[in-house]
Amino acid sequence: MRDIIKMMVVLTAIGAASGLTLSVIYRVTQTPIEYQTIKFVKEPAVKKVLTGYDNDPIMDRKKVTVGTDEQGKPVELTVFPAKKDGETFAVALEGKGKGYHGTIGVMVGVRKDGTILDIGITSQSETPGVGTKVTEPAFTDRFKGLSATGEIAVDGISGATYSSKGVMAAVTQAVGYVNTFKQEIF
Amino acid sequence: MASLQAEFTKGLWKTLPPFRLVLGLCPTLAVTTSGINGMGMGLATTFVLIFSNLFVSLLRKFIPTQVRIASFIVIIASFVVIVELAMQAYFYPLFRVLGIFIPLIVVNCIILGRAEAFASKHPPVVSLADGLGIGIGFTVSLFVLGTIRELLGSGTLLGVPVMWEAFEPFSFMLKPPGAFVALGLLLGLMNLISHLQARKGGSR
Repeated sequence: MRDIIKMMVVLTAIGAASGLTLSVIYRVTQTPIEYQTIKFVKEPAVKKVLTGYDNDPIMDRKKVTVGTDEQGKPVELTVFPAKKDGETFAVALEGKGKGYHGTIGVMVGVRKDGTILDIGITSQSETPGVGTKVTEPAFTDRFKGLSATGEIAVDGISGATYSSKGVMAAVTQAVGYVNTFKQEIF
Repeated sequence: MASLQAEFTKGLWKTLPPFRLVLGLCPTLAVTTSGINGMGMGLATTFVLIFSNLFVSLLRKFIPTQVRIASFIVIIASFVVIVELAMQAYFYPLFRVLGIFIPLIVVNCIILGRAEAFASKHPPVVSLADGLGIGIGFTVSLFVLGTIRELLGSGTLLGVPVMWEAFEPFSFMLKPPGAFVALGLLLGLMNLISHLQARKGGSR
């Protein structure tokens, strides 16, 4: 009996100490992790889809609540504004769509007048050599200058239909956010 | 103090983890596509190994034998999460390359092996020396393997092109079978060196 109690006490103590330590470290590293993720994953895409700004879109980023998830927690969307002379003329924001294999994240640059500046793929796990063709300019350039309303559709890549549709769905979602939350975003 | 040194140096040659014990092959083969990747993985493992050895050794008198494996794993897993978070926060590009292999350090048999076979039976300072030695040995092995594969597979050394212009990289070396071939050649080379050493010692 004493052995069993000892086992329970020791394991509980180790588990508790470990949990406590990790929660502290998680808090400490959370801010740098968010910064690093934005810097390495989002920044290249933001720089690609926005042009002609004189501010730092990463520094000026803001969060817009776009809805709630199943548990009722607010879902936040990070928006990167491009400003000229202090005036926001375009924003970059990320939309997600279901590709052939997992989710495709697409950064979309939208002008205030409602046209798409450019798009850039931020995350994807499509088939290398086939589905990954959607990340190439030959495909992403097809979205340039489209009107940012409703369903966004372009010619897909043959052999990569699902991946192409995933990108279109992601762009559609991003554009939808811009239209729904225009007040908060611009 | 002589034994402290012995515990430290044995990890560098006599029980060099991937080559002598042929343990921890999963990360060894998977991440060594370049020298830097191998070194990053090695250092992450070394960090976990040192601290898990230290804590297992400190707590060895309190942990009942029946639950020792569970306790060791909790200790190891905690340090792995620390490494993962720290790497994500401060070395993001490396974190992206190593990806899933960082959390998998938990099940790296070298670490649990050292905790069970060594740290749970020895005092903290010796265990620390053991962890450091094995860790450095592991890091050097991964670095060497990664460098060889990088040199042949992409013609670069630490990311800098070093081969002559007409050099056609063997992309085979960057694929999993190339890892086995490189590991096999290194193992053979090490056995040859040991063999020659033994012969020299015998003829004297």
